[in-house]
Amino acid sequence: MPLTPMHIASLLPIRPVVFLGQVLISAFEAVLGRWQFRLKDLGRITADCSARAVPIVTVVNVLVGAILAFVGAVQLVKFGAGIYVADLVGIAVAREMAAIITAVVMAGRTGAAFAAELATMQANEEVDALEVLGLSAVDFLVLPRVAALLVMMPLLYVYGCVTGLLGGMLVAGGMLDVSPAAYLDRTLVALDWSHLGLGFSKSIVFGALIGMVGCYFGLYAQRNAEGVGVATTNAVVVSIVGIIVLDAVFAVCANALGI
Amino acid sequence: MTLLAVDDLEMRFGERLIQTGVSFKVEKGSIFAIMGGSGCGKSTLLKHLIGLLRPAKGSVTYNSVDYWRADEAGRASLRTGFGMLFQSAALWSSMTVLENVCLPLERQGRLDKAQREARAREVLAWVDLGKFADFYPADLSGGMKKRAGLARAIGSEPPLLFLDEPSAGLDPISSKKLDNLVLDIRARTGCAVVFVSHELPSLFAIADDGIFLDADSKTPIAHGSPRVLRDTATHPTVRAFLAREEPPPPAAQSAPSP
Repeated sequence: MPLTPMHIASLLPIRPVVFLGQVLISAFEAVLGRWQFRLKDLGRITADCSARAVPIVTVVNVLVGAILAFVGAVQLVKFGAGIYVADLVGIAVAREMAAIITAVVMAGRTGAAFAAELATMQANEEVDALEVLGLSAVDFLVLPRVAALLVMMPLLYVYGCVTGLLGGMLVAGGMLDVSPAAYLDRTLVALDWSHLGLGFSKSIVFGALIGMVGCYFGLYAQRNAEGVGVATTNAVVVSIVGIIVLDAVFAVCANALGI
Repeated sequence: MTLLAVDDLEMRFGERLIQTGVSFKVEKGSIFAIMGGSGCGKSTLLKHLIGLLRPAKGSVTYNSVDYWRADEAGRASLRTGFGMLFQSAALWSSMTVLENVCLPLERQGRLDKAQREARAREVLAWVDLGKFADFYPADLSGGMKKRAGLARAIGSEPPLLFLDEPSAGLDPISSKKLDNLVLDIRARTGCAVVFVSHELPSLFAIADDGIFLDADSKTPIAHGSPRVLRDTATHPTVRAFLAREEPPPPAAQSAPSP
């Protein structure tokens, strides 16, 4: 039996595409001043994915910077080039690690929380109660969450860069007797705006991905306890895979653009 | 005056038939019960009436306006004419009780912020939750959540109120209090109430009219007040349900519906 366009269309992930379209339309309306969500909710969500995420983002990025420095130092010392640990850590953290590691942490923390919260709201009929009032779940629940991450992820990325460099500096000082001043001086020479710009851009895209994936799985969860668990798991897994896939896309594009 | 008219409604989830041939009218000031055993589609019917689910066939008409033939603006306008109490109360967990009651008033757009808050406090006092306005839903008992949900539903003084299993999960005394509250609301506002329940005391206490849905035939098998049906229904399933007895085996269920 030949495949008809309708057969092919039925295999396509229509619902995620529709959801993406709804979020984009809602965002456009919000930019025109016609948002439907409560600013109090936006404030609460923003605080949760910023200030309360700082401790874990700090720990993870410091450790990643330290690990990069340690692994790099072991090899660079053989060539008497220990000082170039600063270059290695600086470029790796700015271009890749700060954005990816922060995004993975936020996917597991905030993306999962979004999915669990919205799935629980579905199970409790809270989303139905909004729809009876004529409030779209995308306008009222999804948009503030995506907006919060769009704003906070770049800031957390910058913070992640600083803490990653700090981790590298601690290892460089401990293993190689590199002074903080020398380390920072070397880092500033190695880093340029293209590295930071690339990482910054990634953080914005990763933030949007985590927000939308978490909200999507939450809103379309089964209305029971198992559904909440499945939604949370799917949100984290799909977000992390999406982060890696998008990072690969960025790598190809950056290479093509010579960044 | 007929506020709600349902005509030959058919409800499906995909290919699975839930109920068909559902027709009834709800008059202003009446309390209408949707009855039936578990899983017969009572709550599903309610969701079709409030626009959460689209029927496979038939019509839902408010004040002579077909809900599903209206455009989105028309449907939004019709929705301002009813309030809904969900089975779990469905209070928005990130908002206080006061904020929960204020949000429908804000959507209605007729009152300013101070007036909305005053109205919300008035309604909360009416349901005996005046002291709990600044509490969050997680801090409330089941009965208090139901009353808060009811306050949210009636805050905008809708002419039509929908209640999904209002007594579910409540102890007998709380259930009785809620029944009295519904009667009080009807007396004060003159609204019509459509409620889903399988709690016999509530059905007998407050319903003026009703419909009985059957899970086996997937059609309504009785119309009328629960008190009247208890004494006059000829269908064995209806008799057994309202008498709180085991229904007879299917072979014995040959009596036609009244």
